[in-house]
Amino acid sequence: MSLTARHLEANGIPTVVMGCARDIVEYAGVARFLFSDFPLGNSCGKPGDLETQRGLVEMALGLLETAHAPRTTVQSPYRWAEDSSWKEDFYRLDLTPDQIAKAREEFDTQKAVLKDKLESSQG
Amino acid sequence: MSDNAPPQYICCRTEVALNVQHAGKPIEAVLDLPIRYIDRSRAYYLALGYDNPYRWAYNRDVPFVALSRPLTRSRVGLITTAAPFKPEAGDQGPWAPYNASAKFTEVYSMPIESLPDLRIAHLGYDRKHTSAEDINSYFPLQRLKEAEAAGRIGELNSRFYAVPSLRSQRLTTERDAPGILEMCRADGIDAAILVAT
Repeated sequence: MSLTARHLEANGIPTVVMGCARDIVEYAGVARFLFSDFPLGNSCGKPGDLETQRGLVEMALGLLETAHAPRTTVQSPYRWAEDSSWKEDFYRLDLTPDQIAKAREEFDTQKAVLKDKLESSQG
Repeated sequence: MSDNAPPQYICCRTEVALNVQHAGKPIEAVLDLPIRYIDRSRAYYLALGYDNPYRWAYNRDVPFVALSRPLTRSRVGLITTAAPFKPEAGDQGPWAPYNASAKFTEVYSMPIESLPDLRIAHLGYDRKHTSAEDINSYFPLQRLKEAEAAGRIGELNSRFYAVPSLRSQRLTTERDAPGILEMCRADGIDAAILVAT
């Protein structure tokens, strides 16, 4: 998504990226980035929560208006939860050999599906 | 070092400071830092036994252009990586596991009059803490319609755009981003909101 934003920006269309993976978006480098410190998949707010959804859209629009240089990141003030224990779970490394085998099998299966799709997409 | 030591003291030795775990927990959870997805995904796939971790896109220079008119008079476009629900492509519901079959492979656009049924089961989001049960948490169409109705933006474009997520930076850069630009130009988009998932 960052690469698409960069392409639009380079061709005269101002952009703002809403996202939850700060390092990935900033590594790619975008003009304006609204960062939510939420689990991946909630870039526009918490499920069923109008306050964060409305607040984040307003912040994204505000960023379009106020940023005056590239790589402007704004971090939203919203917290996902009182504590930060949710950050323990994504890509956990304390895996048993069984879990590793299962994860490998799943990854290989999904990778093959994607490869097929890419090949048919490219003709 | 005791597991009870305050986290700010874990950096007393270089090799400890470089360790991303503390007391068996990722350092971001201990210090409430943003998760370092690049580091973590590298560590994860190395732990699984793959020796060729994904190289995320990296750029030193970043293009920037200012709004050409106030937002209240701008036409705003919404860009997503979400996919239209495909009944034949397996589980795409809330809590669905990662499902590459549900991926789309070419840019598309759809009208915004009615809320489309878009899913994110084909994307690598946090399966433990994200239900994906509320489309508004990853596709802010209704919130942007409210902003339009309130006069906050001049106009929400009559269609939104979607860009595939195929783990190919070449396809995104050479094929898909130009495809999105072409549609934005055809519609006279003044500013774009892109949602990363």
